[in-house]
Amino acid sequence: MQDFKNKLYNYETPPPEETWDHIAEELQNEKVINLHTHKKSKFLFYGATAAASVVIIFVGSLFFKKNKESKSTANIVSTHELLAEKIKDSINLNQKILESIIHNPQEKKEIISKNPTQNTSKKYLTVANPEGQPVKISPKVATLIISADNEFPPRPVWNKKINKWQKIMLASTISPTSVNFIDLIQLAANSENIE
Amino acid sequence: MTAQSNHIPSESDLIKGCIDADPQMQRLLYDRFSSMMYAVCLRYSENTEDANDVLQEGFIKVYKSLHKFRAEGSFEGWIRRIFINTSIEHYRKKVKLYHVTEVQENTIEDDSLDALDSLAAKDIMNIINELSPGYKQVFNMHVIEGYSHKEIADMLGITEGTSKSQLARAKGVLKKIIETRVENSKKSR
Repeated sequence: MQDFKNKLYNYETPPPEETWDHIAEELQNEKVINLHTHKKSKFLFYGATAAASVVIIFVGSLFFKKNKESKSTANIVSTHELLAEKIKDSINLNQKILESIIHNPQEKKEIISKNPTQNTSKKYLTVANPEGQPVKISPKVATLIISADNEFPPRPVWNKKINKWQKIMLASTISPTSVNFIDLIQLAANSENIE
Repeated sequence: MTAQSNHIPSESDLIKGCIDADPQMQRLLYDRFSSMMYAVCLRYSENTEDANDVLQEGFIKVYKSLHKFRAEGSFEGWIRRIFINTSIEHYRKKVKLYHVTEVQENTIEDDSLDALDSLAAKDIMNIINELSPGYKQVFNMHVIEGYSHKEIADMLGITEGTSKSQLARAKGVLKKIIETRVENSKKSR
């Protein structure tokens, strides 16, 4: 029959009276904690955490931004300074080379060889354009640069060269005609002589 | 719909009221189930003090967990399960389960327990309470509550074999207790 199973399953016995008082008290405490302390403290905790996170992120971003800016500014300044120094050095060296080309072409090689480290990169001369930007030019046309520079007027240089060419060509046995370059030079020389 | 108005609230009203932390509804829920659950606590606990603690702890859990009740089974069954689990937890805090070696389930027939049928529920409770806590838990869960050995193993954190062994031993002990009582009653006559 096994009725004892049902008897035990459905068995009821009243608990001690004070049990409900303990439960009610505990529920009341839970309620107080939930409504006031617990929720408030939780709210405060999450709020404080969120605020702290925002402050940390803000300060961090400011710090990194400032750091980055100062670094980049420093980099730009140092790059500019370095570039300016290089340009200055380069222009000084170029100036010497140009002067040597004009006054004493034999010294060109010597001046360049005095600074071998720069010399390797001096296949071209670096000069500053009117805007201050570095421009590379061949040493062969250095005199043309000088012609653009008021310190070294171009005309005497070119005149010297033209006179030299004139002497060479006049001394040649080729008869001048009006259709070639030599004739033109001769005509120019004759007109100068007339003047 | 208050305790004072003598109107008996429906189960869903009780649940809703308790979720809303209405003290009157909480009291009504306690009044409706406390006697039944106290009996469960007494069956699973070593003594009345522990049963009182489990009853208190169990009701607090019920009030806190009511919002999780999905009405998929009976409300009484849901509450009963909470009290059984609370009893097991309470017991675990106090004593570790006896480590028993797994043995073949003793073939003690349930017929041997038929003698219990003639006894009153309170007397049966007294006999059951003579069992050691480990045996009592498995016996209550399997024989009275109807849990399978797998369920018992999961709930108690033991193997199915251990559950079967505990049950067999519990039945053996109960049989001896019943026999002793019968002999004593014969002698007293």
